[in-house]
Amino acid sequence: MKKIETTDGLTLREMFSAATAWLEKSVADIDALNVFPVPDGDTGTNMLLTMRSAIEEAYRAPDHSASAVAQAMSKGALMGARGNSGVILSQIWRGIAQGMSKKEIFTGRDFADAYSQASKTAYKGLSNPVEGTILTVIRESAQAGKTYAANTSDDLVPVIESIVNAAAKSLSNTPNLLPVLKEAGVVDAGGQGLYTILEGALRYLRGEGEQMQFRKPQIVTSSVNAPFRISTANVKEVPYGYCTEFLLKGQEIDPDKLRERLRKYGESLIVVGDQANVRVHVHSLDPGKVLHLVAPLGTMHQVSIRNMDEQHEDYLEMQKQRMPTTNIAIIAISPGEGITDVFNSLGAFVVPGGQTMNPSTKDILQGVESLNPDKIVILPNNKNIVLTANQVHTLTKKTVKVIPTKTVPQGVAALLAYDYEADFDANVKMMEKARNAVRTIEITRAIRNTNIGDLRIKKNQAIGLLDTDLVAVADTALDVLNKVLERIDLAESEVVTVYYGQGIEKAEAENISKGIQEKYPDLQIEVVKGGQPHYEYIISIE
Amino acid sequence: MTVKVVTDSMADLPAGLIKQFDITVIPVNVLFGMETYRDGVDLTTEQFYSKLVASKILPTTAVPSLGVFSEAYEKLAKETKEILVLTISHKLSGTFETASRAVSMVKAKCRIQVVDTLQVIMGEGLIALRAAELAKAGAGLDEIVKRVQEDIQRVEERMAFDSLEYLKKGGRIGAAQAFLGSILKVNPVLGMKDGEVFPVSRERSRAKAMDTLYNFVLGFTDLEAIAVEHATTPEEADQLAERLKEKFPTVPLYRSKVGAVIGTHVGPSIVAVSVIGNRKN
Repeated sequence: MKKIETTDGLTLREMFSAATAWLEKSVADIDALNVFPVPDGDTGTNMLLTMRSAIEEAYRAPDHSASAVAQAMSKGALMGARGNSGVILSQIWRGIAQGMSKKEIFTGRDFADAYSQASKTAYKGLSNPVEGTILTVIRESAQAGKTYAANTSDDLVPVIESIVNAAAKSLSNTPNLLPVLKEAGVVDAGGQGLYTILEGALRYLRGEGEQMQFRKPQIVTSSVNAPFRISTANVKEVPYGYCTEFLLKGQEIDPDKLRERLRKYGESLIVVGDQANVRVHVHSLDPGKVLHLVAPLGTMHQVSIRNMDEQHEDYLEMQKQRMPTTNIAIIAISPGEGITDVFNSLGAFVVPGGQTMNPSTKDILQGVESLNPDKIVILPNNKNIVLTANQVHTLTKKTVKVIPTKTVPQGVAALLAYDYEADFDANVKMMEKARNAVRTIEITRAIRNTNIGDLRIKKNQAIGLLDTDLVAVADTALDVLNKVLERIDLAESEVVTVYYGQGIEKAEAENISKGIQEKYPDLQIEVVKGGQPHYEYIISIE
Repeated sequence: MTVKVVTDSMADLPAGLIKQFDITVIPVNVLFGMETYRDGVDLTTEQFYSKLVASKILPTTAVPSLGVFSEAYEKLAKETKEILVLTISHKLSGTFETASRAVSMVKAKCRIQVVDTLQVIMGEGLIALRAAELAKAGAGLDEIVKRVQEDIQRVEERMAFDSLEYLKKGGRIGAAQAFLGSILKVNPVLGMKDGEVFPVSRERSRAKAMDTLYNFVLGFTDLEAIAVEHATTPEEADQLAERLKEKFPTVPLYRSKVGAVIGTHVGPSIVAVSVIGNRKN
């Protein structure tokens, strides 16, 4: 390590030029961290472009004094500042330039002073400074640098080292100060950018310029784990820290004892096996401790440690999408997996049940009670379930309203009519109206010979229902569908959705859709896997 | 001396109106990777959308620098003693913050007031336009600001989308995330509330979505201005504009295009309508 006591503007330029190149390697990682103030995903890019502009301007400085170069960099940063993080960075450079003012050369203490000035300028620039961001990182690291320069050494390298160390510590603590970071399990992106720049400058000063080409900056990890919010009732396992798994081989291992000892180190603990082989699975905040505890007992194999927070972020995103944005929740009864997915994707909670597997009042009541909102709309989606659903309101303190949807398409139409702006009563009215605006064709098989009106039906023939009335019979699903379609004015319709049932191939459903499309080329037709039993097809016409 | 009105390029004001009412528009930056373009200056709306569809990397956007704002202020300060700056909602962009901060950097003696319109696209544009009209008619800064505050309460907009993917990627989806992830194809219609995007309805067809925009305007009385804009589907927007013109022949109707910065966040399929008026009860 070379000892640097005094430095001029050229060194200032070079150290931050190297720092900018260092930052560039991290841009994508820093972009990925960005969750505040809006998840733009461009903090790294913005900081890099701001630094580049500062360095370009540094080459235009009138002389090589620290003052002139810092002035030029401040101007460059100001003109090139992009995004919120870039703007704050430009304020930092403004502060450094003020601190370096009239200085030909600078020492460690000068840098610490200028950096402190930068911290003040950064705060002053903001109408509403938020802690847990780049601001906290610069304030705390500036304080550390100043203390170090005053008490320990005036040399530039150790002073910057003290700043970098304090910045790392401060950065890893940012999630404790800012809930949005804690939620996402990341450190502040702007703070990470600042840390990377300082670290790059320090490495350059230490003479590591060459190594820097082959290495990459580290992203500081959050000092806290992401907490887990569960908003639905059907989640069995809570992700937690690191999913740690291994096979322990040894002699005379007591799995029960081991389980007892590991209990306090995490969640979802599984310890199974015998005296010689034990498989361990645990979600731990500190997998190191787990491994440490187990190591004396034998040898570890197939060790796997995965960060559950990363998986959890996707999970949270998914949960958020389903979180009701109002105090109203909608429960839909669904006869098949695919239809459940459709209802879920439109924001409804699902109670399974349908033809020949009608849910009980209790089943629906449980759904009602398991949800947070105290105003609930129920979509039975089957005429045999409407009455059951109607019982629920007498059994709960919640306000419950049943929209008597008799078919799945009616339920989907009602759900789509839900208005996030409107109140409960207005929504009930709109959903009611929407239910009646859709027509439903259901195709199933006759379970016995019978006559209905003019129709003579043989067992296993395909029968077609239009809005739950039996209106057609034929040997194949396609024939019966065509017969039912003749009763509807499709020219007035816009969207047809074909939900194909359990055991039906997608290709067959697409054939049906093609058949309709050929006759009515203007229709928008969608084929969706419904997965419902008994009914080969449920078709919605809007 | 006339008040000078400044706004940002996210207000989507058409060039003709900008010129006619002498409005200064600060371009916001669009970045494709490391390539930077200034919205409406280096990149036309058409160029942007063809690039958006062709480019492998999704663009991002960045607030104009302090320097760009302060330079614009300095320049205007040579011609006036009062400047009004109207920005996009601070909940969608840091532009308001930067525009405000740049005020303290101006050395010339000049009153500069920055107001957050809590709006975007032509919702923001209509507010800026009316401020500029007043300025041209000789109103002072205080009077215009008072009127702008009233307008902010009375501006509303609705936007019809094909998909919310772009909005989701850009992170400005707000409460409209409830509309994400639908298995059925839906056309989400969104609005603005308290400076943020919020979900209004999901329509099963594009035609229904256009009807929703039309019916939204019918829900107003005392309409003072209507704006209709599109990104890449001018026919739909033209049709909507025609219908509205027939229904409201005396209300000024502006046709505009959604610029690159907002385009980055909404995607190529948006059609939007903005109005100033009173809600019918």
